[in-house]
Amino acid sequence: MAIVRADELVKEYPKPGSKTERFRAVNGVSLSIEAGEIFGILGPNGAGKTTTLEMIEGLTDIDSGEAFVDGINVEKEPNKAKEIIGVQLQANEYFDHLTLAELIGLFTRLFHRAKDPRELLARVNLEDKAAAKPAALSGGQRQRFSIASALVNEPKVLFLDEPTTGLDPQAKRNVWKLVEELNSRGMTIVLTTHNMEEAEYLCGRIAIMDHGKIVAEGSPQQLIMQHAPEPPEARLHGNLEDVFLKLTGHGLRE
Amino acid sequence: MDTTLIMAKTLLKIFSRDRQAIFFTLFFPITFMVIFGIASAGGEDPIEIGIVDNASNAFSAKFVDTLEGNRLFSVNVATEEELRDKVSEGDLALALILPQDFDGDEGAADITMLVDAAQARQTAMMTPLVEQALLKIERELRGIEPLFPLTVVDVQARSQRYIDFLVPGLLALTIMQISIAGSGYNIVEFRRKGILKRLFVTPIRSSQFIGGLVLSRLVITVIQVSFLLAVAVVLLDVPVEGNVLELLGLIILGSSIFLSLGFFMGSLAKTQQAIMLLGNLITLPQIFLSGVFFSIDAMPDLLQPIARVLPLSFVVSSVREVIVNGLSVVEQIPTMAGLVLWLAASLTLAIRFFRWKEVAS
Repeated sequence: MAIVRADELVKEYPKPGSKTERFRAVNGVSLSIEAGEIFGILGPNGAGKTTTLEMIEGLTDIDSGEAFVDGINVEKEPNKAKEIIGVQLQANEYFDHLTLAELIGLFTRLFHRAKDPRELLARVNLEDKAAAKPAALSGGQRQRFSIASALVNEPKVLFLDEPTTGLDPQAKRNVWKLVEELNSRGMTIVLTTHNMEEAEYLCGRIAIMDHGKIVAEGSPQQLIMQHAPEPPEARLHGNLEDVFLKLTGHGLRE
Repeated sequence: MDTTLIMAKTLLKIFSRDRQAIFFTLFFPITFMVIFGIASAGGEDPIEIGIVDNASNAFSAKFVDTLEGNRLFSVNVATEEELRDKVSEGDLALALILPQDFDGDEGAADITMLVDAAQARQTAMMTPLVEQALLKIERELRGIEPLFPLTVVDVQARSQRYIDFLVPGLLALTIMQISIAGSGYNIVEFRRKGILKRLFVTPIRSSQFIGGLVLSRLVITVIQVSFLLAVAVVLLDVPVEGNVLELLGLIILGSSIFLSLGFFMGSLAKTQQAIMLLGNLITLPQIFLSGVFFSIDAMPDLLQPIARVLPLSFVVSSVREVIVNGLSVVEQIPTMAGLVLWLAASLTLAIRFFRWKEVAS
């Protein structure tokens, strides 16, 4: 049985610059994600990826359609659904004046759980930053902290909204490794990205969204076979990013 | 309740580390208190008056001496021309012109009083004072015993200084500022930065978040206002005549009204600029109209009815009655009714309009 299911989700917003007209940011999206998958939602900016995720997470009202997480209707029982999902948001700003350990402690207590914040920070390689403020973190560290704060309730499903946007290749690979590690322990992961390479590397299945609709769905291999034009000649070597990583190494620069 | 307390504790911790916020919420009222405290330490300033002595005789000299001996007046003797200028410039409250036949002999000598008619209110206040002083001098000069000697006894244990009037006003003002900043400005900032959304990823309910924020702000307000009051009592010798627990209740009631108004404004405003504008729109008129710095009675008649029903006016008036006049809250039923009505109205608005989700632009 699918652990995440969305049926014909629709979200309308007022059209910018118009009082009466509305446009559909999400226009009838249906998804079925199996437990243990890494599922990617791919698409250009403004395609409706984030809105789709936030409807499933119970953060945005659903105009029509239904969403279920582990059989729980997210609109009818949002708090029950929130107990079993982890959410990493695109915006990762936090209260000023609190340290990473204090913030993790706050989120843990809001889930009525008891957990050592340091243990969780260690899982994302931030144990030495426990006493730092989020403002002092680098982009990659911020993203990893953001994932750590989504893990406080040991979720069954982890939603990641553009987890590697704006990161340098080292930090990006580091996040990928973390995602793979979490998935290897059985966590279902749903992520959005507009990075093809990321989708291809991480995801077992992908849905490509544009203009609020899913335009293609399948494994990366299937999609390439079905949709990619035949390349004029096979590329024998890796791409420029491989060169960059070979020359600069995989070590994190933070 | 548990979640509410967790939220309240967290927000208190954040505020306690925010030195800038602590400084600015205290800086303004303390500065005002100290300035006016020092300024009013010397008591009332004498009224500046001028005299043109056209008679220049022993009698007129005695008249001038007598006026100079009166603590109410500070006397400047000069020519009519000079004094005219000074009166019209506002340097002198008025000038008296003694005629040439001012010699105490039979036959009344007309004294002319130069005033600035634009200062009608001041003139009306001054004229009886001057007349009284003249009458007293006349009796002394003529050696007449007053028919009805009047002994004035001050019913208030101590004369009220301006600082005693001002401190309760400043306390009420601080309650308003801290509360509106606490709910209004913070909520817009939290929403803009995505912090609210981050919180609502957890199973916290809106009511628990609001409850936590309200609780933390009430604690902050009580601590800050108590600190200001302590400064006023210890350094400026401002007496607290009424019940301190009732004062505490008023602080909490007043703070709740402005916290609710802040939530309401925070829900209307989408940006920091918008909430700043909206905040100023709500607070600035109240600072001037609610009797913080001067009594509503001294305002133009047209404004008074409006000024009296502003929420800050009720807070100022109740806090002042308790501190200055030692009145209990049960002796101020109309003011209490005003406070409760404002609380009901603002709470309704706050709950009706609260949203933690950002509306897509």
